Amino acid sequence: MPPGRLRWLLVPLVVVPLSWLLFAGLGRNPTDAPSPLIGKPLPSFADTTLVGDQFTSADLAGKPAVINFWASYCIPSCVEEHPFLLGLQADHGADLTLVGVLYNDAPNDALSFLARYGDGGWPNLLDASGRIAVELGVSGPPETFFVDADGIVRGRHIGPLDAASLAAGLAAIGVAS
Amino acid sequence: MRGLALPLALAALLALAGLVAVDALRPSPALTRAEQARQIASELRCPDCQALSVAESRTASAAAIRAEIDELLAAGDSPDAVRSHFVERYGSWILLAPSTPLVWWLPVLGVLVGAAALTAWLWRGRSLPPMPAPGAPPNERLRARVREEEAELDA
Repeated sequence: MPPGRLRWLLVPLVVVPLSWLLFAGLGRNPTDAPSPLIGKPLPSFADTTLVGDQFTSADLAGKPAVINFWASYCIPSCVEEHPFLLGLQADHGADLTLVGVLYNDAPNDALSFLARYGDGGWPNLLDASGRIAVELGVSGPPETFFVDADGIVRGRHIGPLDAASLAAGLAAIGVAS
Repeated sequence: MRGLALPLALAALLALAGLVAVDALRPSPALTRAEQARQIASELRCPDCQALSVAESRTASAAAIRAEIDELLAAGDSPDAVRSHFVERYGSWILLAPSTPLVWWLPVLGVLVGAAALTAWLWRGRSLPPMPAPGAPPNERLRARVREEEAELDA
């Protein structure tokens, strides 16, 4: 036991590191969630689109890709980010493949959403079984993955896309925004 | 009372050690695949709910994960392989309990350290000469105590 007042040093020795640990946690950005998939190949998947076409992850080969999980009930986040997706398709539709994936949504509701907020014409997968979402570790819409031309996942954004997060994601897959 | 403390602490420690040994050595019956699947599901966090396991949740993503657990087990994957399959996708966030068994031993370690400290403290009290009775001439222990308190006052 340390003699005299020295033993009171134990109090800051315990409290200071513990408080630092807790306060450091407060500053973390919850939309910037590191995915274990980053740096790894995109898991393969095959599914039907809203318009009845077949789509597989092999269709993404050779070009960078942006994969956006969304749902018609995801309001306002998915509505807020929709103009950014329409802009992305208009500006970079030739340089990359944009794919939407429905997250636990009814196809008719998704079609009404597109009719109301604008259909950019990119494929939207139904993911009726939820397997694509599980394969990519998605926890809820909206969530966006950025995949480079070699099929390696380079970025992930949780929450609605905005100009900054879109630019950061595009930079990670070698697309100049 | 002080005389009882050490035997009591020792008895408690031995009882705890016995409990741990029984729990670790108890032969567990081989689980059926459905039981295995249910156990794994109860150890995984439901991705789109608050504080629920995949086994308890009724969301679509929990159902998808349950289906995938069944498929992986049917394909011959071990429970550990199934767990790491989901950790590779969601990160260790998906696990409801820490995966290193070491963490579970931390409370036991705390009890052992506390018991050691208590033993050392009791031992010190016992090995020192007794304090002199009031009025008796001071002995070395009383002088040492006086010096300690003087130093504290001076500090």
